[in-house]
Amino acid sequence: MQDYLYDNNIDKFPVAMAYVPWQRFDKMYDDLEKAFCAGTIFPELDKPFTGRRCV
Amino acid sequence: MGNNKDQLLRDIGIVGFVLTDLSLYLDTHPFDRNAMEYFNHYNRIKHQMEKEFSMKYFPLTINMAESNKEWRWGMAPLPWEGECG
Amino acid sequence: MWNYEKRLEFPVNIKEPNAKLAQVIISQYGGPDGEMGASMRYLSQRYSMPDRNVAGLLTDIGTEELAHLEMVATIVHQLTRNLSMEEIEKSGFAPYYVDHTVGVWPQAASGFPFTAAQFQVTGDPVTDLTEDLAAEQKARTTYDNILRLIKEPDVCEPIKFLRAREIVHFQRFGEALRMTQDKLDGKNFYAFNPAFDRCKDCDDKPDCGCNN
Repeated sequence: MQDYLYDNNIDKFPVAMAYVPWQRFDKMYDDLEKAFCAGTIFPELDKPFTGRRCV
Repeated sequence: MGNNKDQLLRDIGIVGFVLTDLSLYLDTHPFDRNAMEYFNHYNRIKHQMEKEFSMKYFPLTINMAESNKEWRWGMAPLPWEGECG
Repeated sequence: MWNYEKRLEFPVNIKEPNAKLAQVIISQYGGPDGEMGASMRYLSQRYSMPDRNVAGLLTDIGTEELAHLEMVATIVHQLTRNLSMEEIEKSGFAPYYVDHTVGVWPQAASGFPFTAAQFQVTGDPVTDLTEDLAAEQKARTTYDNILRLIKEPDVCEPIKFLRAREIVHFQRFGEALRMTQDKLDGKNFYAFNPAFDRCKDCDDKPDCGCNN
């Protein structure tokens, strides 16, 4: 395990590389029907398309 | 969970989806015990529902396709037919 | 090997045929950022992933993409079945129809056939995973563009589902890249290809980082 990869300060990560933050599993949707329609059980990954700015 | 065919199939779809999303999460978080408990729980439920569905309607997987009079796997509707086929 | 489940990952029940929509949506079957390319990309790249968990993730996402391929094909099939000759001519579907009737053939919306030239397998884990991140974004954009073109809820719902999966896959590929970085030296991620290069003197330098 390399420390910088678990540092909260992304500016300390080595340059010239792509990083996606780790997802930490907290809670999945209680309503599984809703999760199914949303396409994910994870509320933090539910990012629907609006097709409009400022909504 | 529902008794009729469409509702049971929908419920299998929902639980199957929960397992898909959890399994990808576990692929990158292989020591997350909380997620593993959820996975084990819903995996058992899905297996039960698939067994019930296979007994009442048709087999969804080949391992539930044991047949006597007719080849039940071959007689089963195909998923792209849809409800309006 | 694989086993088949006789159900879709997300239900598709389209009531009205619509050849115009089918011609657009078919791009996610065999187009440059479609599901066929996605599944073939991940299922081909996995052999050169040194990390077993990352290779496993590529297998599982590649498998899910096959389920998406089936969903997109189902949408195209249900949008084109029971089409009248009049509708085929009116909707500009005749060029497709003359070659394929209403069969489902992997092509882009432009008519360009599916080709493996639309994706890469470089055999370098960092490079391939970075392509995979971009691939998920490109597919997401394509679904955004499709969503602007459709109002019908029975077509919208499965498309919204497929779009949401691209975002989840992006997150997982990002985490897979982190797992890959974790086994490399951050001072120079690009010193060697962990799927190819070996160390001549691994015995003398156990911390050389080549993992062999």
